[in-house]
Amino acid sequence: MGSEPGLRLVHAREPADVDVLVGQVALGDSAAFEQLYDEVGSMVYGVARRVVRDPARAEDVTQEVFLDVWRKAPGFDLERGSAKTWIMTIAHRRAVDAVRRNEAQKKYDEHAGVPDEVHHDAADDRLIAAEEHGAVRDCLETLTALQLESVRLAYFNGYTYPEVATLLDKPLPTIKTRMRDGLIRLRDCLETPR
Amino acid sequence: MTADVHTLSGAYALDALSPEEAAEFRSHLEGCAACRDEVRELRRAAALMGAAEAEPPPPELKARVLAAADRTPQQPPRLDLRPRERGAQPRRWRTWVAAAAAAVVVAGGAAVTVDALRDDEPVPTAVEQVFEAEDARTATVETANGGRLTVGVSPSRNEMAVDTSGLPDPGEGRVYQIWAVHGTEMVSAAVLDDVEAGAAMGMPEEDTEVALTVEPAGGSEQPTSAPIVQVDPRDV
Repeated sequence: MGSEPGLRLVHAREPADVDVLVGQVALGDSAAFEQLYDEVGSMVYGVARRVVRDPARAEDVTQEVFLDVWRKAPGFDLERGSAKTWIMTIAHRRAVDAVRRNEAQKKYDEHAGVPDEVHHDAADDRLIAAEEHGAVRDCLETLTALQLESVRLAYFNGYTYPEVATLLDKPLPTIKTRMRDGLIRLRDCLETPR
Repeated sequence: MTADVHTLSGAYALDALSPEEAAEFRSHLEGCAACRDEVRELRRAAALMGAAEAEPPPPELKARVLAAADRTPQQPPRLDLRPRERGAQPRRWRTWVAAAAAAVVVAGGAAVTVDALRDDEPVPTAVEQVFEAEDARTATVETANGGRLTVGVSPSRNEMAVDTSGLPDPGEGRVYQIWAVHGTEMVSAAVLDDVEAGAAMGMPEEDTEVALTVEPAGGSEQPTSAPIVQVDPRDV
């Protein structure tokens, strides 16, 4: 009997399907809401932290996002996309709104033109998140430098595309198409089976 | 800009458009199924990019979020919020009485006009103008108190209107009140003294929804009851 067991390790708790959880939250299930927080809380907080930077404000944004999710779950329509995309879209918009409300922050931010390279090593034990992290990082490398910079300045620094054009000293149509082409390339890469 | 508006899909998915451009792009989306698909896919890619930044929140945040949700009412489920065929909307606009002069209220970014009109008045009201606009879309939702509310939107006018004539009588000493809902904030938009009268308003800002509650006569500063219906006009 070698060291090759015929059993695979089973996680104590299977990761719950976010779509299913949101469906339960829609019915006012607060236990499902708590589970949803456990599932996607670190993604919501992570993007908020990257965009607004300040930890206390990132917490406020996270709270706003989850309250939106709680309130709006009854109207969530799976046909328009997955629950996770829905939640992350809310999270990003809320975070960007918070940054734009405080334009001054950007002016004080020396690194504004250079998105910082702090990566949080998917600190928890979330295999899925870690896999996604690696895939996204690999796929971002398939973008051209200008695509990557345009996408990141918009997504992680909350700049509008005219602001990105000014920062990078490029014509507006160039930045507009680089953002689209960059996301398309990211999408295509992420959809390719690895 | 209009010629290549669909190339804004990337900037839109990254939330990198000004509110005005985002609104313009959304009207473009309404007539472009391929663009909607593209936006959905690009948003998913952007969401994965964001998800890759996962970082555990401080442990104490969880209790705060759960407690806040506990105090927050959920939206009523959306029923039958599908666009109906143009021309299928009920024509009730003739029966309004000349009650109050048009009142304009600005709340949460939505300017609201409460209309009242004589029976034989040939001039279309603000509400009629929305419902009869070339690009008008309408949807009817059932309300928690057993009535129906018809919502009309006109992207070209950047306005919306509600037909409240399908709502039951709110009861003695009660009125319907319209609210602009943004996040957890609710701001009074109008008090409807006559349910036969509708209300027309500018399209609210993004992420602002419209809710109706039943309130004591005269209306309330803040809702005293759960909404009987809440809709995102952008979903109509």
